[in-house]
Amino acid sequence: MRLQRLIWVLWPSFIAAGVAEALFFTIFDPEELPFFGTIVGASRITTYSVGFFLFWAFAAFSSSLTCFFQRGSAELNRCPLPPTARPLGCPKRSDENASCR
Amino acid sequence: MDTPVKVGAAGGAGALDPGEQTLYEVRRKLYPRAVQGRFAAWRWTFVLLTQLVFYGGPWLTWNGRQAVLFDLVSRKFYIFGLVFWPQDIVYLTVLLIISAYSLFLFTAVAGRLWCGFACPQTVYTEMFMWIERKVEGDRLARMRLDAQPLSARKLRLKAAKHGLWIALALWTGFSFVGYFTPIKALGHEVLSLGLGPWETFWVLFYGFATYGNAGWMREQVCKYMCPYARFQSVMFDPDTLIITYDSARGDPRGSRARSVDYKAKGLGECVDCSICVQVCPTGIDIRDGLQYECIGCAACIDGCNQVMDKMGYPRGLIRYSTEKAMAGHYTADRILKRIFRPRVIVYTAILWLIILAAGITLYHRVPLKVDVIRDRGNVMRGGDDPEVQNVYRLQIMNTQEVPREVSIAVSGVDGISLEAEHQPIHIGPASSRVVAVRVEAPRASIREKSTPIVFTVEAADPSHPGALPLKVAEKATLVIP
Repeated sequence: MRLQRLIWVLWPSFIAAGVAEALFFTIFDPEELPFFGTIVGASRITTYSVGFFLFWAFAAFSSSLTCFFQRGSAELNRCPLPPTARPLGCPKRSDENASCR
Repeated sequence: MDTPVKVGAAGGAGALDPGEQTLYEVRRKLYPRAVQGRFAAWRWTFVLLTQLVFYGGPWLTWNGRQAVLFDLVSRKFYIFGLVFWPQDIVYLTVLLIISAYSLFLFTAVAGRLWCGFACPQTVYTEMFMWIERKVEGDRLARMRLDAQPLSARKLRLKAAKHGLWIALALWTGFSFVGYFTPIKALGHEVLSLGLGPWETFWVLFYGFATYGNAGWMREQVCKYMCPYARFQSVMFDPDTLIITYDSARGDPRGSRARSVDYKAKGLGECVDCSICVQVCPTGIDIRDGLQYECIGCAACIDGCNQVMDKMGYPRGLIRYSTEKAMAGHYTADRILKRIFRPRVIVYTAILWLIILAAGITLYHRVPLKVDVIRDRGNVMRGGDDPEVQNVYRLQIMNTQEVPREVSIAVSGVDGISLEAEHQPIHIGPASSRVVAVRVEAPRASIREKSTPIVFTVEAADPSHPGALPLKVAEKATLVIP
């Protein structure tokens, strides 16, 4: 589940970052990009790469918020899994009304 | 359709409680059985074709440079004789539209042909599984090996497999980066251990993605990560060819000896051998009907046909068919005729229109571009008969790989004149040059605060001496200070 959440956050944001990167750097040349009044001094390849990770980070932030707000009331109020179906090691495997809060 | 029969331990998916499956993805490792047949041969054909293009592409030479090079550092894309600049992004958009429309068309005709035969995920998984099979053996040998405790033999086999996978993945990453940095220089840098930090990073990043996706993730990429898998069904209609189990012919299923008269026993032609499930790279049972997990690889068709041959039954218990054909017992001929239905004809027509339009505009593209930027230096000069003076910077781009001599003129206002560096201006092949230009016009002939003017940039075409010169007009404004 944790891995799946991670994929839900990282993968859509990767696609979005790719699109944003292509559009942004088609329009703006890294060597002419102002940075607090001066020009970004790094080489184009560095700016492209750093830019991609910035886009990815922002998109991942948005995806993780979506993921976070996605939980329904049932999930927030009590664990939707019957106690026996809870993963091994869950401290609330014996508690019928447990929630993950 | 009848209730599906649960397949035993050999089956793979289906044993998990559906509720549990959606909440906690307990992935069962799949051990797809190797399959031979018509569709497997097609898939290998596509593996070879696509990879010949992908691995071979960056090594081709054209005009003394790499034929296909997306040179991000100098912001130019070379594709054989064409050079694309950032301003040409419209062609990228058109390319994406063409790809999307082709996908719609193929999907409407025969489902997920892309997924089953040409998608990189399928292609690399196929290659990685081939390595796995050569090292660890067939399906049963692999299952046995994984169940064994760690031994010297297991360690050796696993190390060999991962070593080969990583080598292929690194080569893939290297080829990928070779599309963005000239690959021969890149190769020299690798050999002399002088690869730049970002190139190293992207080779490893792409290599890792290949290794992870084709070695470990496999069908999960299609099931959980691919957007197309989620919406492809909207392009289906009842005449779309999909991989179908003929339940009317196959059910009720059951094992039997080859000699038994199964009709007398009340059985259908499905011998319930579960080969179709064993060969499935996504671990589904096609006999349960169309499922979004089905990538249309047709491995089950190949597998089932082999069994039908052995049993002496006609082939095609699992086959490409359509919803309507199954319901109406269409002949193969009638199914083929239904391919040319309005939806497909309209998709095809639109696709060809876009390709044609793109081809024509590409052919007529003027290989000269001009961007005008007005500088801040506008002044008024002279006393009784003042003149307005504006300074502009013209970025002139020569998009072809031939040198050009260009000259600049200006018009739009009476008595307007232009002063630039000594004309004609030389611009090297596939390069651009910024030219500062001072424009002067009598104050008397300008009526408004900002007046539109036009720059005309002309270049003779050295490759066609008799041809008309290339001409680009670009609008600008003249401002009174």
